[in-house]
Parts: sequence; structure tokens; C-alpha cells
Amino acid sequence: MTQFDSSADSAADLRLDRRSFLRGSMLGAAGLCAAPMGAPLRLLQNARTDAPAHSVIQIFLTGGLSHIDSFDPKPSAPVEYRGEYRTVKSKLDGEYFTHVIPRIAAIADKLTVIRSMTHGEAAHERGIHNMMTGYRPSPVITYPSMGSVVAHELGGRNNLPAYVCVPSGGQFRGTGYLSAAYAPFELGAEPNSRNFKVRDMTTPTGVDPDRLARRRALVAEIDSEFDKRGKSDAVEASAAFYDQAYELIGSEAGRAAFDLDKEPAKLRDRYGRTTLGQRLLLARRLAEAGVRFIHVQHAGYDNHRRIFPTLRTRLAEVDRAFSTLIADLDSRGSLENTLVLLTTEFGRTPKVNRDAGRDHWPRVFSVVLAGGGVKRGYIHGSSTATGAEPATDPVTAPDLAATVFTQVGIDPSHELMSPGDRPIEIVRDARIVRDLLA
Amino acid sequence: MHVSNNRWFAAALLCASLSAQQPTRLEIAPGDIRLDDGRDRQRVIAIVTHDDGTTRDVTDAVEWALSSDVHAALQDAELTPRADGECELSATFGKLTANTTVTVANTGKQPPVSFANEVIPVLTRSGCNAGTCHGSASGKNGFGLSLFGFDRDGDHRKLTRELRGRRIDTADPDASLILLKPTGGVPHKGGKRLTPDGEGYATLRRWIEAGARNDVKQAPELVGLELFPEQAVLAGPDLLQRVVVRARYSDGSDRDVTDLSILSSSNEVAATVNANGVIRSAEPGETFVMARYGTFALVTQVLVLPKDVAFTWPGDVEPANYIDASIFDKLGKQRIAPAARCDDATFVRRVYLDVLNLLPTPDETRRFLADDNPNKRVELVDALLERPEFPDVWAMQWAEILRIEPEQLEPKGMYVYHDWLRDAFQSNRPLDEIVRELLTSKGGNFEQPQSNFYLVERSTKGIAENVAQVFMGIRIQCAQCHNHPFERWTMDDYYGFAAFFNRVRSKRGEDPRERIVFVTGGGELANPVTGVVAKPTFLGGATPEIKRGQDRRAVVADWLTAGDNPFFAKNIANRVFARFFGRGVVDPPDDVRVSNPPSHPELYEQLGTKLVEYGYDLRQLIRDICASHSYQAAAHPDAPPASTFAGVNVRRLTAEQLLDAISDVTQVPTKYDRLPLGARATQVVNPTGNRFLGVFGRPARESACTCDRRNEPTLSQVLHLINGATTTAKLRDDKGRLRRLLASKDVSDDAVLDELFLAAYSRMPTDGERDKLLQKVRDGDRATNWEDVFWAILNSREFLFTH
Repeated sequence: MTQFDSSADSAADLRLDRRSFLRGSMLGAAGLCAAPMGAPLRLLQNARTDAPAHSVIQIFLTGGLSHIDSFDPKPSAPVEYRGEYRTVKSKLDGEYFTHVIPRIAAIADKLTVIRSMTHGEAAHERGIHNMMTGYRPSPVITYPSMGSVVAHELGGRNNLPAYVCVPSGGQFRGTGYLSAAYAPFELGAEPNSRNFKVRDMTTPTGVDPDRLARRRALVAEIDSEFDKRGKSDAVEASAAFYDQAYELIGSEAGRAAFDLDKEPAKLRDRYGRTTLGQRLLLARRLAEAGVRFIHVQHAGYDNHRRIFPTLRTRLAEVDRAFSTLIADLDSRGSLENTLVLLTTEFGRTPKVNRDAGRDHWPRVFSVVLAGGGVKRGYIHGSSTATGAEPATDPVTAPDLAATVFTQVGIDPSHELMSPGDRPIEIVRDARIVRDLLA
Repeated sequence: MHVSNNRWFAAALLCASLSAQQPTRLEIAPGDIRLDDGRDRQRVIAIVTHDDGTTRDVTDAVEWALSSDVHAALQDAELTPRADGECELSATFGKLTANTTVTVANTGKQPPVSFANEVIPVLTRSGCNAGTCHGSASGKNGFGLSLFGFDRDGDHRKLTRELRGRRIDTADPDASLILLKPTGGVPHKGGKRLTPDGEGYATLRRWIEAGARNDVKQAPELVGLELFPEQAVLAGPDLLQRVVVRARYSDGSDRDVTDLSILSSSNEVAATVNANGVIRSAEPGETFVMARYGTFALVTQVLVLPKDVAFTWPGDVEPANYIDASIFDKLGKQRIAPAARCDDATFVRRVYLDVLNLLPTPDETRRFLADDNPNKRVELVDALLERPEFPDVWAMQWAEILRIEPEQLEPKGMYVYHDWLRDAFQSNRPLDEIVRELLTSKGGNFEQPQSNFYLVERSTKGIAENVAQVFMGIRIQCAQCHNHPFERWTMDDYYGFAAFFNRVRSKRGEDPRERIVFVTGGGELANPVTGVVAKPTFLGGATPEIKRGQDRRAVVADWLTAGDNPFFAKNIANRVFARFFGRGVVDPPDDVRVSNPPSHPELYEQLGTKLVEYGYDLRQLIRDICASHSYQAAAHPDAPPASTFAGVNVRRLTAEQLLDAISDVTQVPTKYDRLPLGARATQVVNPTGNRFLGVFGRPARESACTCDRRNEPTLSQVLHLINGATTTAKLRDDKGRLRRLLASKDVSDDAVLDELFLAAYSRMPTDGERDKLLQKVRDGDRATNWEDVFWAILNSREFLFTH
């Protein structure tokens, strides 16, 4: 045999481990369930079993949410800075939000607000990269999203995919240098649409579980010939997804997690019959059913012009949906083990521009956390008088990522293997922000 | 320097193992040494290349000699000037010798330290003007420099004028803040960046002492950079290789800037490089060592091999053409044997998919397999290139990067534009001609379909960015706001290139859906930092004379499509290569930059040269590709990295290929919007609609980026194949292949299996497969069992992947 690269060989062995492991789970299956999904066994060792957060719901407001017009108002700044919104007293002593998010203000005692997030990337895609991966974009390598890292490190649970995007993913939501097997499951359907249904999760008529098992065995028979020819990441990722699919199809409880009709109409109303409202309700169902990482996006925050009327409508939707999600999780006793993250790629310029909008501003902005072992009722850090720079306790994108990873039981200093067998820390140059933790 | 392919190849066949390695060539780098003034000096290295392709740094082992020590002195492999004149430097290593001339001039001159060419590089190398430090937009701690020194006048002002001049103290240089801070003499949040006894400190100090003058206007411009050696092949760990970086200036002088460059390794597992310019090998693998200096960056390829590995080139594998020569050259150096040639069944399936996006029919496969003409693979490719499905494939590929979609173009514009493109590929119009027509297009977009090019993206900057990315593979977006940190593109380059397109306008036509593209007589574009009007300038090239009234776009189109254009032909050819090999020599093909170097630099050049030589004939280039052993390679048993091209790069069928394959294998056609039944997914013009194609990663054509097409498997795709309507309905269709075969009394189970295997895999079942599968069919209801077998075939890896 040719030895081209001894270290590549050892990585290939690890891949083989995963593959034979998956094969084992497949062939040992008279039933289609009971096997852990996706992630190789050796990696599960990195996960703590006593982690405070079992799931993460990452709500991403794409475009860049104006911090000054939401969680970090500057009522005493000149009008061209403070903007048109008034403030409203929050449930926390002496702390105010803008008046367009009164419901969130009323549950501030359940939240941790970081007012000193900071990074240096003012272009959307670069800012999104920072906040989705915890890394600055690099010209040589694409980093995996936090969701893909969670899928890689923790694997799936309860026959459900580890990482789900509601309703779809996008740039830097993917696996980066990790295998395509850790890609998110994208619903491809809108929870707020009348006929919302995640497709293809049930077998066609005439195919009962036994027949599906027979079909699966036939494929394994045929594939065994092909596998003798060699291996490739794409083929292995496909194999991993087939295993996940069979498990999901075979699990009634798993499939039910995607069924919004199982929620009472009144509760659906409370979340709001809006895109974000129904997405968040579905996210709660998925989190409670066992999905590790749920990415929910909501667009429309890139308000370069006429920010005040536009953002008021946008934030009304957030106000209702997000406050209901937190209260709902709390009353069901799930908030403690679900980490909710309301985040964005950057803030917006302190000064209102001549089009009555605000432009990109990564120097300082706000991010909100709740549950999953973070403090209830806490404001972390502050920005300067006009919301231009962090004034105290700046938090970087790597810091935030490291803190989130820690809460789900992943050691952020653990190394992942990138192509060329180059080990890369899950997060680099970061510190866990202990002040955020309860 | 590269060893010539053929020579190496011959050597590899003869030479069985590393232990027999013989030094064959000695080289001094850099060559043609100049010492331009009394302060100048130049370090030199000596590299030996062995007959097996490996290299070794023998700077310390050779015998150095100067033909005369009147003009220059050599100590520790560094030349210093003595007196004006010329002499010869030679190195001897065993039986090998190498020579180069040393020219010494202006020995009497001791030029002052240059702010532009020495001080700024010290600040850059020390990290002072990085984005995370003083180079950040708002500076750091009240002190802001331009990012990587792109505004040198501004930097000088800030260093000398701001903070009441405390940053610089010409009377007492050591008391200057720019020396106290980075050495830790006073607290510095950025930490210790310089040591008082180091070169950087000395440079800054001498500059301050001499008056801290700004010579940005007078100093010679940096015009080029060289990095030596061009390649290193190190057999074993802990081998050292020195690098030398030499800068060339507009006045003809050069300078050894090894100490002023920023050096990095793209894969430190394979090899590291330290601040003194020494590469150290580690684990086997490949890395690119990059040197950055000023606005230039260069890489050198470093291959690290396992030590003393016996390696024999497989006797039956020979290079078919230049593609193999380059790929095999590197494989040999890496001690990787290429995979064997694939069998006919694998070839016929692969080549149909790659050339036509289709599977061969069972009859076509039978005919090919039975043919005993030794030249049948070449003839098959020739025949496929004449089929009408071929232009469909290329119209689709180009429609993606040209973003042909109905939102910007109106449905009618979209269809006429697509038809124009398809006709161009059908009639085999040269690619340069197609591009020139697009770039110089004018008129109504319904009448002049090419003019849709300027309607997809209408902003000057957006057009320029698309032209750079689509036709040169260069992403210049970042240079809109700042000089690119790793690349050569500056804001001046960006605005200079964009200025070619700033007079394109469009207006509504008589038909309100139509738009008319035209060019105005005036209008200029300015660099927003300097405020200076940008003269139309070729990317990385000259500023052409443009006559009054001349269409600037025609000027840039001529430059782009000229045979010696440094970007166009290579990039276009590499995109073609990438379609057939699953990845480009530069990959992705539309991200050409120093820090993303080609895996096979010579091949990248040659693909472009050949395309020009062929008169931009796409079909001829495809013939070369398909004729190569590398394209015809089987799967590699050891799965080496895909970038080696040692074996086939197994990849999922694209959205269009897969849907058409399912339709063909089941013989149940899919109905596509606005196309007659029987039309193919590849012919679909509108990139919206049809859920299957969306789920399997067809691009929405929202950007010119090839990354818009997703070819990775996902859970949604797998669920759809297992449970979805596409497979289920087609399996059960009464008019479909399976039901018809089963309904026919004279077709045996054996024959059914043959037919399904030929249709899906382009091969006959093996005896083992036949036994096992037919046994499953016999047990129970025949129709149900056959449906299950067919379902399994459609869900099998051999069907879902190109291999």
C-alpha cells in the first residue's frame, strides 16, 4: 500500500470507526430506533452530562438590530442619537428598554441582557460569521456554525436531528470544515403558513415499519458492494443522514415534535400568528423533544432608511413572540434547561443618518440570553453615552460562543480536526463570561 | 524551481526508492543579485534537488566562493557591498555547481531610512496597524493608523503631529512613544512588539534620529515581490529550509525584505515558518508558506513526505497528456500512486453525467461495453459533445453565474437571454467572443439578449465585482472599503477597475417590461478615501489611453479576452476542469487569491494556455480532460485528499442530474414548468419552482458565487428519497419501467434485474448480487418485492453518486 500521509491515515481510521459504528447500528436494527445518532462515540466524551442547558434556541435577527432602539436606549442623548422611541421601565430596578418592547421589559427579571457585545466586522456576512461561529472570517478556512459544533460534539437525542434550522439555514449556518454530516435539518416549510407540515417524515402508503426495514436491508446489501471501492466524506455524510432519517421516521414522538397542530390554538395566539411567533413555538416543541440546537431566523433589521416605523412593526412581533416563549418555557419548567439566545450580527450607528435610518455598527450592541443556567434579571456591561463603544465589561463573539458551549456541556478549548488534520480549538482566545451565569 | 514533468516522470519510473536518491541540480536563490547602495545586503540560499524530486537546503553545506572579493563580501550566507562593479557568486556541492552574478552600485551612498519602504513595513510586521490594534477603524487608545498602512501620508501625520508630537522625539529618539510603548518602556495594552536590540527598533530609531521625514511622494514604488524557493519537497520531519523574500521597486532597485515580511504557514501541522524565515517540516502533508510585504503577497508550496518510504510508480500508469503530467509529477513527489484506470461501465456512466448531465440508456451502455474498438472512450466523448444536451449543460452553468432569473430581468428577458446563451454553446462560439459580446452589449434586453448582462446588477460597483468574480475568479468586494489584508487588491485597484463600468445606464423601453441598456458620455468615479477620480485601470495592470467617446467597456473587454490576460483563460478553463473533476485546480474556481493557491500551479497555467491555443473552444478542452488518465481514474483505495486528483472524486449527483436520472431509470418523465413533457431538468430556465431541485441544492441565482449551488447531502434530501412523492409515484407508475417489465410475460426476473442495473448503474449485476436479490424477489408477492428492490436501487450510493 502507498503511504501518502500517515496522519491522514489515522484520521481515516477514526472516520472508519464512525462508519462501522453506524453500520452496526443499522444492521443491528430489526427496529429502526434505539441507536444514538450521527456523532462518533469517542467525541461524546467531551460532553458533560450534568450541563445546565440541554438545548439551545438561537434566535437570529438578521440585518443587525439597533441596540439603541431596543435593549440599550439612550434617553438623555441628543435626539439625533436617541431616536424617536421613548423608554419603558423594565422589571429590573432602574433599567429601561424602548417602549416598543414593553412585554419583554415586563419579563426582564427572567433575562440576562449583554449591552457590551463588540466585534469589528461591519459587513453582514462577516458579522454573521462572527456571531454564528465565534470566529472572525478567515481567507483559508470556513468555520463551523455553533449548531454544527453542537451536533458534532453531542450528537442527536430521542431519534431527532441534533441541529434544526427553522425554517431554513443560510450562510455560515453550515458545517464549515466539519463533515457535511453535521449540517442542520432545514424544515423548508413555514410554521406560520396554513398548511404547515414538515414533509417526507412518514412512509408512503403500503410501507409499514417492517417493509421499510426490509427495504433498508436491501439497500445495505447493495451498498456493501459499492463501499468496497473506497470512501469519501460525501458518501459517509449521506450514510449518516440515512441513519438519522430511519430513526426519525421510526419515532412517533420524534415526528410529533414537528407538529404544531398539537399545540392549543390559544397558545398559538399568545405567541402571535406571525412568522416569528409560530417559529418560536415550534422551536420550543423541538427543544423539549430533544433537539440540541435550534436556529430560528427573522429578517428585516437592516434599517438603513426610515428605521422607526419599520422597526416598530418588526419589534412588535419580537416583543410578543419572545416574551411568550420565555414565559411559556418558564411555566412549563423548561427554561432552566433551555438556553435561549436573542442575537444579531451587529448593532446600528449611534447617530441617525440623513435617510432617517441607522447603518452598521459592530463596535457595541446588545444580545439577550435566558434560561440554561444564566442569571435571571441581570444587565451585563454597558455602552458609552451615545451607544458608540463598550463602556464596561466588553464581551466578544468568541466569549459569547465559549459561554454558550460551556452551558451545553462542551469544553470550548477542545480541539476539532479540520482538513489536513489540523486541530482547531472550538473557540479561540475566549473567556467564559462567568458573570452571566447563575 | 519546478523539475520538468517529463524528466521527473521518467526518473520516477526508473527510481524505485528514496534510498537511491541522487542530487541532480543545485541552485542559488535569489539569482541576479544586486546591491544597490552602501546599506544594501542580500542573503542567499542554496538548494539541491534530487532525482526523486525531493529538495534540501544546503546553504551551510556548499562551498561558497566569490570570483573577487573587491566588490562584495560574503559572510554567513549574506552579501554586503564593498565597491561598485560586478562579480560572480558560485556554490559547489559535490559534483554540482551553480553561479549567479552580483552587481554592486552606489556603494558610497548611505540613504536615510525610508518611511514608506522601511518604517511602515516595520509597523505592519509588528502588528501595530492590524485591524485588532491601531489599524481598527476607530484606532486603539486614541491612536489610529490605517489598516496595514494603506494611507501612508495619514499615518505619517498621526505619528508626527498628533498628541503634540510626543509619539516622536527627534531630539531624544529613545524617548519617543512609538519606541517606548512597543518595547514595554511604558505600559502598552498591545504588549511587547519590539525589542530594543532588534532590527525593527533600530530602523524606527534611525528614522526618528534623521528627522522622521515623510518620503511617501519621493520613495520608489514597490512593484513586485519574489519568494524563494518556489517549491520545497522535504522528506522527513525537522528538516529546515530557509526562505528569502526580495522586493522590487520602480527605480529598478531591489531589497532583501525577508526580515520585514510577514511569514505564515497555511498548515502548521505539515510545516511551520518562523520569524527568521526558516521553514521546519513536521508531519507529512502539504502547506503553503505565505510572505506578505506591502500590498503584495506570495506563496511557496511545501510538500512534506514521510521519511524513507519505498515507493514504486505503478508500471501500467502513464500520462495521457499535460493534465496527467502535472498531476503525476506532484503525486510522485508525495509518494502517492494514482488509482488505476476505471472500467468501461464506470467510464460510460461518469462521462454521460459529466458531459450531458444524463445517465446512458441500457442500450447505449450495452453498445459501449460490447464495442472492442480500443479508441472507444475518445470516440464516445466526441459523439457526446455533438449531442443537443451538451449546450443545455453549459447554458445552465453560465446562467447560474450570470444570474439569469426572472426577478431582475422579467420572464421574457430571462428566456431570451438563456436562449442566446444556449445558441452560443450550441454553435460552439469561442468563449472569449461570448464574453466580449456580454461586456459590450447595448440596447433593449428583449431585442439584444446579451444586454441583460447589465440588468442583473445595475450598480457600477456591483457590475465590476461580478465581472471580476465571474470572468477572472477574483473577489474584489473587500477592497471597496479597505486594502485587502492578504491580497494585492487595493482601493485604487477596485475603483480603477470599477471606473470601466460607471457609464452604463438603463432606461425603460417602449414595452414597459423592457429595459434599454446604454452608455453615457460622461461621469467619473472617485476613491472615497482619497477623493481622487479613478482612472479606468485594468486589475493589476495598466491604465489604458481611452479616447473621448470610446466605450470604456470595449477597452476592458479587449484586455480581458486578450491571449495574455493573466486571469481570464485560466479561470474559465479551471471552471471547466472543476465540473469534470469535482473540484478546481484553484478551488473554489471563483476565489482566486494568493492565500488560496492552485494545488497544481503549472496545470493552472497550462489549462489557460491550452484554452487560448484552442481559440477558446470549450469542446476541445473537454476532450483533453476526458482523455486524461486522471479523469478516467477509478476510486482510490486509500482515499487520499481530493486535491491530489489521485482517484475519482466521488460526489452526489447534482439536483438536475438526480431528478433526470430518477425519471430516466423509472421511465416516468417529470413535467417542468413551461417545457413539454420529456424535457429535462437541465433545460429548466427559471430557478424557482420544483421543490425537488430546490431541496437538492439548485442555486436560486441570487449571487454570482459558485457557492450558491449546494451539493452536500442533507437530511431533507434523504427523507425525500425514502418517503417522498418523487420516488414513490415513479416506482408505482403503471407506464413506468418496472411495471411494464413485470407485465411482460417473456421477461424473466433475471432480465428485469439486468435492466434495472443497466439503467441505474450502467453495469450488469455481479453473480453475488444476482443471487441475493433474486432470492428476495421470489419470497412473497412479486410486484411488491420488485418495488422494494427498485426502491433500494434508487436509494443506493452507487445510484446517488458520481463515481
